[in-house]
Formats: sequence, structure tokens, C-alpha cells
Amino acid sequence: MTLGAIILLPFFGGLVALFANLIWPRTDRWVALVSLVLGMLALIFVTAEGVLTGGSAAGIEGEAGRWLALHRSDWAPSLGVQILLAMDGFSGVLLFLSLGLGILTVILSWNETEKSALLMAALCWTVATSNGVFLAFDLLVFAFFWELMMVPAFLMIAIWGHGTREATAIKFLIFNTIAGLGLLAAVFYLGSTGENGVTFDAFVIAGRDISPYVQTWLLAGFALAFMVKLPVPPFHAWLPDAHTQAPTVGSILLAGLLLKTGAYGLFRFPAMLFPDGFAVLAPYGLILGSFGTIYGALVACGQTDAKRLVAYTSVAHMSVVLMGICGGVHFSMMGAGIVMVAHAFSASALFLLIGAIYDRVGTRDIRELGGLQRNAPRFAATFALFFSATLAMPGTANFLGEALVITGMFQVNWVYASITLISLVISVVYATRLFQRVVFGASRKAEVKQDLTWRELGPILVLGAGTLFFGLLPQGLMVALDPAVNAAVDGIRAVQK
Amino acid sequence: MTLSPALILLLVPSFALAAFMVLGLYPYTLRRRQVHIIALLGGGLPLLLMAPLTALCAAGHCLGVVPIFTLTVGQSVVALALSLDPLGATIGLTVSAIGAAVLVYSITYMAATSLADLRRFFALMNLFLAAMLTMVLAGDSIVFFLGWELMGLCSYFLIAYNTTSAESITAGRKAFIMTRVADAYLLAALLLLFLHANSVRLDVLIPASATLDATMTTVIAALLLGGAMGKSAQVPFHTWLPSAMAGPTPVSALLHSATMVAAGAFLLMRFAPLMQLAPMVQVAAAVLGVATAAYGAMSALFQQDVKRLLAYSSISQIGFMMLSLGVGAPEAAAAHFVMHAIFKSLLFLAAGDITHGCVEGTDLSSMRGAWTRKPVSYVAFVAGGASLAGLPMVTAGWWSKEAILTAVQGFGAIGQVLWLGAVLTALLTGAYASRAIMIGLMPMRETDMPNAGNVHRHEAPRTGTIWTNLPLMLLATGAIVAGVLVTPIMHFLGAEEPHASAFSVYVAAAAPLLGVGLALALVFVPWLSEGLRNVRAISRKARKMPRRGEGGANSRFVRLALWLNWGMRFDGLYQVMFVRPFVKGVRWLNGYGKAPADPVGTWPVLALVWLQQKITAPLAPDWFDKLWMRGGAGVVRLWALARTVQTGRVRDYGFAMAGGIAGLLLLVWGTP
Repeated sequence: MTLGAIILLPFFGGLVALFANLIWPRTDRWVALVSLVLGMLALIFVTAEGVLTGGSAAGIEGEAGRWLALHRSDWAPSLGVQILLAMDGFSGVLLFLSLGLGILTVILSWNETEKSALLMAALCWTVATSNGVFLAFDLLVFAFFWELMMVPAFLMIAIWGHGTREATAIKFLIFNTIAGLGLLAAVFYLGSTGENGVTFDAFVIAGRDISPYVQTWLLAGFALAFMVKLPVPPFHAWLPDAHTQAPTVGSILLAGLLLKTGAYGLFRFPAMLFPDGFAVLAPYGLILGSFGTIYGALVACGQTDAKRLVAYTSVAHMSVVLMGICGGVHFSMMGAGIVMVAHAFSASALFLLIGAIYDRVGTRDIRELGGLQRNAPRFAATFALFFSATLAMPGTANFLGEALVITGMFQVNWVYASITLISLVISVVYATRLFQRVVFGASRKAEVKQDLTWRELGPILVLGAGTLFFGLLPQGLMVALDPAVNAAVDGIRAVQK
Repeated sequence: MTLSPALILLLVPSFALAAFMVLGLYPYTLRRRQVHIIALLGGGLPLLLMAPLTALCAAGHCLGVVPIFTLTVGQSVVALALSLDPLGATIGLTVSAIGAAVLVYSITYMAATSLADLRRFFALMNLFLAAMLTMVLAGDSIVFFLGWELMGLCSYFLIAYNTTSAESITAGRKAFIMTRVADAYLLAALLLLFLHANSVRLDVLIPASATLDATMTTVIAALLLGGAMGKSAQVPFHTWLPSAMAGPTPVSALLHSATMVAAGAFLLMRFAPLMQLAPMVQVAAAVLGVATAAYGAMSALFQQDVKRLLAYSSISQIGFMMLSLGVGAPEAAAAHFVMHAIFKSLLFLAAGDITHGCVEGTDLSSMRGAWTRKPVSYVAFVAGGASLAGLPMVTAGWWSKEAILTAVQGFGAIGQVLWLGAVLTALLTGAYASRAIMIGLMPMRETDMPNAGNVHRHEAPRTGTIWTNLPLMLLATGAIVAGVLVTPIMHFLGAEEPHASAFSVYVAAAAPLLGVGLALALVFVPWLSEGLRNVRAISRKARKMPRRGEGGANSRFVRLALWLNWGMRFDGLYQVMFVRPFVKGVRWLNGYGKAPADPVGTWPVLALVWLQQKITAPLAPDWFDKLWMRGGAGVVRLWALARTVQTGRVRDYGFAMAGGIAGLLLLVWGTP
């Protein structure tokens, strides 16, 4: 049941935070923080238990060592719906990320005055629903969390956003809802076509023999949902808007968490459920991904809004993730997993920094910014760190991930490897554009006078430490990701033979 | 804890790294003296460690490969390691010595900067030094690439050190982007090698390349060559280096003369066994090397700015190293690396001191009167210049260049052509080096120094501080006497005894002297000096080439000199070929043309809008609603119809009643 607590604690935390102020003023943030910290403790407990006892005792057959924890109980037996939660190293990493970013965003919005209780609730619910996505292996429950995840994000953009926030929130909702339909249809099909009654148990479905043709169509449904969330061009149009209009904490959770759910889905389910379909569609994924990484980088080169620029770099980096997953070899999938983690750190930190600048001067237009290096050295130094992370400097986790993806691409096809290398070169163009316009130069119209406060610096240092730690000592991360990568690669390889 | 070899080697770059961390990250104020001490510790301790390590290595006790820690990626075990072999020891000692000298020099040179900027400067210089040492001592390709890339990053920050100058920011960005292209080549090569050898250890990787098939060997060697050429500013990747002179002089002295730009040459020295398996790439390296050497020398001859002159000479000298590597003599290249590092950093530092604070900046005219204004620095400059020119026997530069020429001559038929090119380049080198030296002897002129009375911002004494003079004197001594080290270095690296023909030696000795003659001619032959004056006037005013026949009597010479002064206008070519199309494309993608911004992302949105307009908008009146409403209207009509029955007249009702009864009766009657 501890697995369930990882989802339920943040969920009920959010619910209590919503009403906490009615009883005692200004307690909402404490409730949110405590619930997320408790969720984190539960996660640590589960992980430690799993690692120490060598995985779940009631493991899935044949994969005893892989799952750190497993929980299975009935929900609606007549519909074949059960609560099936499982955690391996890969989910574990993402869960740590999700709860960690949740805590970080609560700290960042500590002094929020506008509808603070609802904001705290939205933060907690974002974490809770994405935790659900990372844990659920009953496909209907997975789809349930998948759709639910949009609600708090929608609220964050629509209520605390900037500019055309309502329109943006609706755009976000329309894109992701339409894409979610594909997932839902495929899940219903899978659930209802079993021989032994209705079941949505992913492990049971994985054992089924589905014809490659059907698999391809089902995978297309799944992939649509995941690729819109990822997002990969041409399905990315919601992201730059969402990032630009969302408040800082919203951007952080979008980049750090919501995009990762798309990558998680692509990483986990195609190879597990539809290996034949994967073999058919992976080449198209590679083409989309390689197009996306160049396209996102090129569009980023021309942006004037700093947040929008970072949003397009996210498109480019997540396209690399797609390439890594579709490569289907050990190196590239491991690389994709590491890029996911690295991007969560670096993009969140950049959004945080840009948000801090926006709080001070009220603009994110890089043509008006400048002179951070003279006025705000702590800003400049941390900016430099994440600037080098975003252009994949060795020593950062971003480089490790991209280098592994490129290695895998060399095993698949040198053309894709070359495209990824070209995107590395273009990344310098946009990264220097952002960096030198904001950090170098004389102060232009918008002068940042106040350096980072310690409450901003703390989260940034945590993110920076993560970037460098996983870049320099990635062994732990790799060990955690390895079982999931192996399972995926084995699934794909079994088809190829 | 015992001092394990791994720890000792790890310490070498760690000192510089630690200095960077303290200077860059310590959140509280440091005093100027403290900054100096930390920076010098970071720059000096690696030298103190490297010196005994190199001595041990020379005595036959090299540390070899020392693993630091291992990583597991699936089935591959990635062992991160440092190593100290003769090549690493030689280059590592050179780098740490030059680094220390430049940091000592910077103390006086950067005296006028604010404390915050000073900290940033020394922090970045130390980080750079750490990166370079890491690369030199790397025992595996990951650590190698880490150092290689980190240098690129530091060079961006250091070239753009003056963050309020658009020129230096642009130059930094240009350098970073262009060297990044080279990095991509190198990364591709290293990853391919890793996939082949299933190891990142250089001592496994490089021997394993013997089992590669021929195509793959050529591809990897070509990628390595591309990487080396980009980092080493070889034609056609060279344009970033002259621009990079926008950085402060100590930066140029460390990065853009002796260490970073020479890293490309070091890369090929490291991978020399692999390169030798790809003869085609070798020849390409040699040809491109000699072409670059000639190009750099020709362009240097007509430069109007002392730093740009030195930049082009770096391009040219590294071209010599590439040539040497191409003809299969990495040892000679390494010896030239060392000599070049000494004299080129010396030249930068001396020129920097001479021109420091001058109104004209680093323009050649700032060199005027150096002999009287700054005798110590000028003497040092002369020593460096002579070594660069390669004055026979008495300078270090001659010995290493001679070793290269000997190797080139032994390279068969192509070698003869290459040799001729190299000798002509040596002649030009003599010319431009002595041109720079001669300008220092000329008196200061009112025309060249508009504010001659106010030459210096701060009254600099004729003899600089000890911080300036000590490194200058040490390096000057090295530039002269280090020639005795050339043969030992080559032996140390395992080269065989060179067999130079007497003819080749005589020619090689004569070439620089002829070059000095050429420089004298440029000054004293009126036709040429007149032309040079025109070149100077035009190049300082506009970036436009005068038309044929314009620009005085010797128009053809002026046009040629201008063309060379602008580095054969590669910048303009690249602007047209790469920069403008890129910018145009990016602008198009962002909605400056006819297409909407982010066209690819827009089409799903457009599709949704189309769907809305064509399908849902026509349904907006809601046909079902209409249907129901129409049904309602029908009911009303029906009601109106029914109402007409109710006339209110008795006869109508009676008639209807009678009809009804009749009907009923008929019904009853008809029922059986």
C-alpha cells in the first residue's frame, strides 16, 4: 500500500490545502509541503525496501529482479479494472523527480497571494497525477491518470498565467485531449478483446499474441497521445504557448514533469505491449525525431521571448529522446532516459531563472534584457551553468545522455547520428543567443538590479548539483534505468529475430 | 593514505580546478592580494607537480594509464582514466609552464580591472588551464573530450571577457560555434572508435583501430582531422582565430597561441598510430597543413594589427605541425608544439606589454618606439620574433622547424613539393616576424599617435614590474636556448635519428634570412613601402577593396596586400555561404516571410481551425434543434387545423354527430 501512498499523499494534501486556509490562515503551503515531503518519504521507504529485499516478493513472473515494488488490488472487478501499481528503477527515478520538483515549486510559490490555496492544490495534484502515470500498469487506470493530469496544468495556466492565458489553456487542453483519445480507444480495444474476460492488466496484455497489423494501429493510438505530450513536431504548437503564458512554477512542472510523462509512455509501453508494431513504426519515429531536433533548434534560434526560446529547445531535446527510444538499442534508450532526467533539471532551472528575471523587470524579451553579469553575478554564474547544460557540455548529464543517444544512432544508422551531431552545433547558436543577450552586454531597457535571493538560489543549486552529479557520476542513475532499458531492448530484439 | 599514481595525476588539473572554484564560487569578497595568491597557486602547483613527473618519465618511469573509476553501460565497461606517457608529459609540462607564466604576467597586466572582473578573469583562466591539462593527461576518450569541450566553453567566456563590447561578444560566439563544428567531428570519431573497440581507454582504443576495415579507418581519421583542424584554426576553419583577438592579451597568449589552438595538433599526435593507417587522410593533412602555413604567413605579412599578425602566425605555425603530422613525424610536431608554445606566448605577452594602454590599441603603430619605451619587453619581443622567424642555429624555432623540414623531405615525391612550400613559408615567416620587430625600432610618430603626449592611460614605467619581466625573461631565454631540447624531446617520444641532407639544411637556414631581406625591402623599397602605406590607409578606413587602377601607382600590389590583410576574405565568403542563409532560414521559420511563425507547428492548429470552420461551424445552428423547432411548428399548425372544426354552430355539430352514429351503426352492422 505504500506505493499507493506515493499517489494518495500528494492528492489528499492538495485537497486539504484547498480548504486549510478556512480553518487556519496561510497553512495551505505547509499542508502542501508536508504532503509532498511525506510522499517523498514514502517513496524513499519503498525504494529502500525494494533495493534491500532485492525487489518485490510478489513480482511479475520471470521478471523477479526488475520490480522494486508491486501493488495489486481490485477496483471494479466486474469491469476488469484493478489497481495495479509497479515501480522499477525507471519509474523510481521519475517519481523522485516528480516529488522533488513538486517540493521545489511549493517553495518557489511560498509567497503567492493570488488564490494560493488553489495553486498549492494544483501543484500537489500535478504531482499526484503524474505519479499515477508513472506507477499505473492497469491501462485503464493509466489512461485515467493521463487525462486527469491535464486538469491541474490547465488551471495553472488559466488562472496564474500571463497574456492570453485562457486561450492558451484551452489550446493546451484541446491538443492533449484529442491526442488522449487515441490512447483511450486503444486501451478500450485492448481491454475488451481478451480471451478470459475484460482485463486492462498491462502484464497480461503483454503476454497476448496480437497480430502485427493490429499492433501497429494500437501503437499509433498510444504514440499519438505520447508524442503530443512529448511534444515532437508537428504536434508541438501547444508547448511554446503554454510555457510562455504559464507562471514560472507551471513552466517548471510542464518541462520537468508533464513532458516526461510522454517520454515515459513511449519508453515503457510500445516495446512492452506492441513490439511488432514498434518495429513497423520506429523508423517513422526516428524520422520525426531527427526532423524535430533540427527544427526545434532552428526555431529556437530566432526567438525573442526567453521562455519561448527555452520551450523550443525543449522540443529539440525531447525529439532527441524520441530518437533514442525509437533507436531501440541499449545505448540510445539509456541515453534517452538520461536526457529525460537531464532535461528536467536544466529546463526547469532555466525557466526558474527566466521567471526570476521576469519577476524583477516584467519582461522576458531578450532584446531588452542584458547586463546580468555586471549587476547580478549569482544570476550570471548559475545561468552559465545551465547554459552549458543546454548545449550539452561534457560534465553535465545532458551531454552524457546525448552522447549515448548518438552512440546508439551510430549503431542504427549514421545519418541519424549526423543529424543529432548537427543539432549539437545548432544548440550553441541558440544557447549563446540566449546567454549573451541576457547575461552579457550593458544593461538595456530592463535592468535587473537585485540578485537571486536565497530562496531562489536554493532550488537552482539543487538542480545544478543534479545536473553535474549525474553528468560526472552517472553510475547510480544508469543502474536504476538499466532494468527498464534492458526489458525494452529485449522486447524489441525478440521481434527482430 | 598513500600517494597513489592516480591521485598524483588527478591532482595536476585539480589545483587549477580548485582555484577556479574558490575564485568563481566563493560567495564572499576576496581581497585583490588573495585573488592573486589563489590564482597563482592554481597556475603554479600543476607546474610543480608536472616537473618531477616529467623528469621521472624521462628517466623511464612513466606512470602510464591510471584508472580513476569505472562506469557500466549495458555490456560495456567504461573506465575513466588519466595517463602519463612521454607525449603527455612533454605537452603537459609545456602547458603548465606557459600557464604559470601567463598567470604571473596577468597580475600586472590586469592591475587596472575591477575586483569582480579580476576574479572572473582568473577563475576562467584557471578553469581553462585545468581543462587543457585534463585533456593532455587524459587516458580515455571521455576525459579527453571533457577537457577539449571545456576549453571551448572557457574560450567563449574569455574571448567575450569584455562583456560590454559587441565585438568581443561576437568574436567569442564565432569561436565557440566554429570550434563546436570541430567538436562534433571529434565526438563522432571517438564514439565510432568506442563502438569498435568497446572501450574508451586510449591505450586500448588506438591499437584496436588496426582491426578496423579500410573505409572505417579513413572515415574516422578524416573525422579526427576535421576536429583537429577546427580547434587548431586551420584553413578552412580558421576565421574565428583572428577575430578572437578581441579577448584580453593574456587570454590570447594562453589560449590562442600555445595551448587551445594547438590542441588540434595534440589530438593528431595522440592518435598518430591511427592516422598512419589512413594514408589518404595523412596526405590531406600534410597538404592542408602546408597550405594553411602558407596562407597564415602571407596574411600575417600584411596585417596592420600586432595581435592579428600573431594570430595569423599561429595559424601558420600550427599548419607546420599539421604538415609534420601528415608526413608521419608526430615527434617533430610535438617538438615544434613546445617551441611554438614558448615563443608565441612570449610574443603575445611582450606585444601586450608594449601596446598596453596605447591609444591605438594593438595596432602595429603602437609598437613604434618600443625600444625606447619598453626596452625589456622589446628585447623579449625580439627574442620571440627571431625564434618565430627561425633565425638559423641561434633560435629555438629554427631547430624544431628544421626537424619538420627534414621529415617532410623524406616523404617521397609529394614530400619534395611540400618541402618547397614549407621553405617558402619559412621565408615569409622570416619576413613578417622581422617586419614586426623593425617597427619597434622606429620612432613614435605624431601621425600614428594622435594623442602622442598622452600615450599611456596610467604612466607605465619603462621597466615593468617583476610580474611582467620575470615571465618575459624566462620565456625569452627559452625562445633562444630551448632549441637544445628539440633532439632530446624527439628521442623521448621515440623518433629515430633524422637524416637531413646538407642542401636542405642550407636552404632552410637561408630562407628566414631571405625573409628578413624581404621585410627590409618592404620598408626601404619606395614602391613597396608606398604601397604598404596605401594598404594601411585603406584598411583602416573601409572594408572595401579599391577598384582596379585605384589606390595609387602600384594598384595591383595594394589590392593583393589588402586581400591578404583581410585573410583572403574568408569571412565575407562564410557570411554569404553560411551565416546569411542560416539567418534567413531562421527568420523565415519565425514568421518574417510569407510563412507563419513556426510553420510546422502551425499546421495542426490550422487543421483544427479548418475543422471548426468547415464542419462544426455549419453545424452551429444545430440542425436537431431546428428539427425539433420545426416539429413544434408542425404541432402548432396541426392545432390550427383542428381548431377549424370547432365552429360553434349547432347544425355542424348535429351533422357531425349524425355522421358519427351512422358510422357506428355501419360498423356494428358489418361485424359478423
